[in-house]
Parts: sequence; structure tokens; C-alpha cells
Amino acid sequence: MSFESLFFLPRWPLPFGQLLWVGVLLVAAIVAGEAARRWLRLPRILGYITVGAVLGPEASGVITGETLGDLHVLVEIAVGLLLFELGQRVDLGWLRRNPWLLATSVLEAGLAFAAVFTLLTVLGERPVAASAAAVLAMATSPAVVMTMVKDLRAQGQVTERLLLLTALNTTYAVVGLAIIVGWVHLEHQRDPLVMLAHPAYLVGGSLAAAVVVAVATLALLKLLGRRPGFQFSILVAIVLLTVAGAAALKLSMPLTLLLLGVLARALDRERHFVSLRFGETTMLFVVILFAAAGASLEFSGWGAAFATALGFIAARFVGKAVAILVLARASALSLRGAWLVNLGLAPMSGIALLLLQDLARFDPKLGGEISAAMVLAITILAFLGPLATEFAVRKAGEAGEARHP
Amino acid sequence: MTAMPFKSSQPLTIGVELELQILSRVDCDLTRGARELLALIERHGHPGDVKPEITESMIEVSTGIHERHGALLAELRGIRDAVVTAADRLNLLIAGGGAHPFQHWRERQIFDRPRFKQISELYGYLAKQFTIFGQHVHIGCAEGDGALYLLHALSRYIPHFIALAASSPYFQGVDTAFDSARLNSVFAFPLSGRAPLVERWEGFAAYFEKMRGYGIVGSMKDFYWDIRPKPEYGTIEIRVFDTPLTVEKAAALAAYAQTLSRYLLIERPAALSEDMYHVYNYNRFQACRFGLEGNLIDPATQTHRAIRDDVLETAAALAVHARELESDAAIAQIEAWARDGSNDARWMRECYAANESFEDLVWQQSRLWSGRD
Repeated sequence: MSFESLFFLPRWPLPFGQLLWVGVLLVAAIVAGEAARRWLRLPRILGYITVGAVLGPEASGVITGETLGDLHVLVEIAVGLLLFELGQRVDLGWLRRNPWLLATSVLEAGLAFAAVFTLLTVLGERPVAASAAAVLAMATSPAVVMTMVKDLRAQGQVTERLLLLTALNTTYAVVGLAIIVGWVHLEHQRDPLVMLAHPAYLVGGSLAAAVVVAVATLALLKLLGRRPGFQFSILVAIVLLTVAGAAALKLSMPLTLLLLGVLARALDRERHFVSLRFGETTMLFVVILFAAAGASLEFSGWGAAFATALGFIAARFVGKAVAILVLARASALSLRGAWLVNLGLAPMSGIALLLLQDLARFDPKLGGEISAAMVLAITILAFLGPLATEFAVRKAGEAGEARHP
Repeated sequence: MTAMPFKSSQPLTIGVELELQILSRVDCDLTRGARELLALIERHGHPGDVKPEITESMIEVSTGIHERHGALLAELRGIRDAVVTAADRLNLLIAGGGAHPFQHWRERQIFDRPRFKQISELYGYLAKQFTIFGQHVHIGCAEGDGALYLLHALSRYIPHFIALAASSPYFQGVDTAFDSARLNSVFAFPLSGRAPLVERWEGFAAYFEKMRGYGIVGSMKDFYWDIRPKPEYGTIEIRVFDTPLTVEKAAALAAYAQTLSRYLLIERPAALSEDMYHVYNYNRFQACRFGLEGNLIDPATQTHRAIRDDVLETAAALAVHARELESDAAIAQIEAWARDGSNDARWMRECYAANESFEDLVWQQSRLWSGRD
């Protein structure tokens, strides 16, 4: 037998494409997630993030920056699905029935903003840079909170308030950042009208898009029925479409998907929309999301930014805590419950990182000024945040999952 | 030593306990919320009493002791309003109904109290299937012998109570074909069913002591009988009612039991005998399965008739007692329901047929319960 006749055997070295490394990343992340849950009793998310960080460009480099870029679309889908799911789980009517909850939401975001803004101004940041960081501090990570709640099958007052406050403070941050971007435009001597027009377009456009898609979705569901399997696939497809549409229209993807979820629930007077839990089927997207988030973390230049990052985390935490604890009784929550809600809100948004990159596009200098400390804070909270949320849900006695799976 | 004395209470007084569903506004499924709901209700003060039950998705409300239907209804409305107002602030829904139409018992959490933990360990999956919601009606009795007479005399009318109150046609996402599927869950327990035919209180106390001696029961609470004596209250407790969809129906059912008790105690229409119990399980099954359309065999005359006709005939015999107890309005309502053959199970089936959505059904149940429409 000649060498040529063995054409069917693979060549050496094996011609591995990037897809293979994505597969490796996924398998490793899922195994690490299960290992974290079973043997260390830690949130699965920590396993995903750690594997991402280890295989990412900053550490071993198995996953290159280029691959990470290719993963971006999957990450967007994951975020879109989680935000949609969060949106359809929060009930804005609750704010009407319990107005102190709205006050709590505004105050917790407001005080987190004020505390971080004051800290950074004292440390000598320009107001615009301090504001940008403070706006990002308002938001809790919807992806982490939603994933933890699903993972723990959590249910109860602390959980519901956690979800509601997260949806609201994410919205405030998106709008706030649009205003900051307008401010940046203003500093660059562009038309002052842009400072209003940009946020107006972002909010108005996202709302309009969400209304259109929600109405169309409900009409489709009415036509095609309540079979859960069907509703699941059509909704995933609609989320994909909306993610792409929001990007094309330069709208806020997070805001559009969040509003789509809220409206799909609120406008559904005849209850065509069966209660939806994107469960195991969409877990793969979630794994990609957190593994990619881990791979994007930076582990260099920590020394200089360390104190600022810790100060940022502390100021954000205290700001939120004061508001939630002060208004606990008025909003019909025990002090213990309020404390747990506050802990649960600790995860910082990976979306913040994306928004930060957006901001850096408009004003590279601004991005540089605050980004080192912010990235470090996000890195620290990527690990501590899920722990805090899990602790809060468990201590509240709202975890449905057995401690030993 | 006399075991278990029967505390005397004012005859023919009534009190009502209702087990209520705590629901999520988002998906209309049962949800955890009893603890916060109780805390909030206690903070603002309320009529009656509110207690946790076996799971976190259930609370039990109870009234004080009443002589009249009107006062009972007023208190029930006050309790309902307090509970619904608190639930609003916590984004929860409250509803009546004997069982949740689509809840999955695996999801339920057992309330964190020693007795409930113990029940859960003993009964395993049955304890979680016990996420069912009933109305208990207490009737005051002067002494133990009279209580036992009333308990056994009322057993003939158990099918009335079941059929009129039935509100659990759906269970775990299917139409069970029963009007009261809830009672099927109760019957799974070893100590369910009827009390033994003992007519003297000393005899009953001796029976209880014997059962305790065997180690089968620790207290009266371990008997899940359809009607059981509650010696420390001086009452007998009728437990076969599904929780109705409205407090108005709950009050009317209690008044019906009260008026019927007066009729039985004063007119003594039938002597007690074990023969009464030969038809008991048959009649009870008919009531659970077919509601007011079910067949009832009269143990005294051996005649067959529809439960609704038997209710109408009984109600006619109660007129004078209803006047004495001022329960005329309630008895008139009972008659109307029997005439139309309408109970809550039928309302639920019609509601589901209109929209084919269990979520929507639960939503409508909670609207009905709130009394705001």
C-alpha cells in the first residue's frame, strides 16, 4: 500500500479550525460549570467565566481575539434572550400597586450614581468621565441575575424585587449613557441639539420598535396557538430578528429587548403568550456569553487602578444599600429581605463593558481615563457578583434547587 | 383520668377556615409568598386570624365564632380585603378553588415548621400532592355526646357539601372529569374517611386513646376524617368543602351547615346506625365525580335521586330553622345553585372552554375572589 492510498487519513498536524476551539471552550466551560456546582458548591457561572479567562487571549491564548470577535454575534443573541426573558418576567403594574418600589428603584440607582460620581470627582476625574462611570454603576447585570434565578429556580419576594430593580436600573443606565454620549458630542463642539436628539432617538426608537414587534408577535401567537414548543421556537426567532433589527437601526439592543419582553406580557390581554422559561435549550448561549465575558477580562495593569476600583465597588454598593434599606418598610419588605435584595444587586453588567467600548469609540480619551479602574471593577464583580446573588437567594429561602444536585 | 374532655361551647355557633392559593401575577402558577404576606397582613392589622399552611404557596384564614350568617359574611369580606390589599403590594394574586389547575407539586416547598416537616417526611409525595385548598366549617356543640350525634347525622349530607362547594375540576393540567378532584388526594391518606360510629363521648375518647396506644395517631389532627370532633374548641369540623371561589359562597355553605345542624338536632329525623355508612362511599364518590348531578342513595328509604333534588328537598325542610337563625338569604342561594345545577367547578369549566388557557382561568378566579368586579 502506497502513501497516496492512505488519502482518507487526516494530515498531520491536524488542520483545526477556529470552530474547534469554540467547541473546546464550550465543553471545558460546561464541565467547569458542573464541577463548580457539584464539588465547590459555587455558581456554574463562575466555572464558565474562569474557563473563558484561562483560555482567553489574556492568559493562554487558546481563544484568540479574532475568535472572540466571531463569538460576538452569539453573545448578542444570549444577551437578547436573557433580556427578553427578564422583561417578560417583570410586571410594571407592581410599581402602580406599590409606588414605594418605584421610589426604591429611582433612589437606589440615583444614590449609586451620586456615590460613584462624588468619589471619582474627588479623585480628580473630569465630570463627564465621572458621570459615565457613575451611570454604568447604576446597572445590575441582567444576564447574571437572570441566569442565577433560573439556575436556582428561585421564587419569592427577594427574587421578584431583584428582577424588577435589575430591569429598571439597566434601563436607567442605557438612557443615562445616551445622555453622556450627547454630552461628549457637545464637548466636541457639535450641535447642542444632538445631546437631546440622540437619547430621544435611542429611547423613542427602541420603544417604538419594541411596540411594533410585540404587537406583531402577539398577533402571530393568536393566529398560531398556545402550544409551548411552537411558542418557544418562534420567540427565539423573533428575539434574533429584533437583536439584528436593533443593531441595524442603531437602537439600544438591551433596551429594545427588555421592552419587548415587558410589552409582550403587558399587551397580552387575552393571554395568548404562555408563560415562558427559556430553559436548558438556551443554556448553550448563556455558557458562550459568560465564557466570552471571561475571555474578555483583562488581568494587566492592576496595581495603579486597584484602589480606585475597590472604591468604585464600595461606593456603588453603599449607594444602593442606603436606598433599599431606608425604603424597605415603606415598600413592604423586611430589613433582612432588603439587605438580601441589595446583595443580590451586586453583579455588574457585562453590558457595561460593551457600553464602555461604545463610549470609547466616540471619545477615545474619555474611554482611557475611566476604563482601567472600570474594567478591574467589572472583573472583580464578575467573580463576586454571582456569589452575592446566590447567597442572597439562598439566605432568603427562595432557592428551589436542592443544595446537592 | 379522663382523657380528652370535650369543651362546651355555645350550640350552633359557626366559624370558618379557608385555605387560599398564593399565585404569581406573572404566570398565574402557585408561588412562594406566605411568609411575607403574613408579615404584611399582621403589620396592618386585620379581622379574623391568618396562619401559614403546609406549603409556602398557601395561607389559611379563619373567622371568629359567629351566631349569624350576616356577621360571618361581613368578617369574611373584611379578611378577604386585608389579604388582597397586602397581596397587591407584594405583586401576588389570591384565589379560591380546591386545587390549582396546573401546578406541579414537585415545585412546591414545604413550609418551614416542625409539624409540616414531619408530615412531609412521613407522607413523601402525598404531602406535596396535599397542596389542595379546603374550607373547614366548625359548628359549636354543648357537649360531647351531642357533638357525636351531629357528626354522624350530618354524614348523610356530606354529598351536598361536596357537590355545592366543588371547585377542583382541573388538577396538574388535566380535566379530571371530577367536580372535586381535591378529595381524591385526601382519600389517599390512611386516616381519611369517616369517624367510627361511636355515640358516647367516653367511648370516643377510649377509641382515641386506643389509637394513640397503637402509635397510629398523636393528636386529633392526625385524623383526616370528613367530619371530625375538635374537643378543645367544643366543635365538630366539616372538612369536605373545596375552598369556594368567593367568600359569599363560603359564608352561604357555612350557614347551610349551621341550619341543617339545627334541623338535625331539633327534629332528629333519623336514628344513627351503621347502615347509614353502607352507602357513604358510593354517595361521596358520586358527589365528587358528578357534582350536583350525582346520584344519591338515601340510606333510610333506599331511594335514588339526584343530589340537586335532595338539596332542594332538604332546603325546603329547613325553612323554619333558617328563619330562627336568620340564614334565609343563604339558604335561598343554596336552593338557587341546586336548581341551576351550578357550582364553581362548572363555572371553571365554562371559563376554561371560553379561552382554553389555564393561566386565564386562574386570573379570572383571582378577579372573582378579590370581589372588585
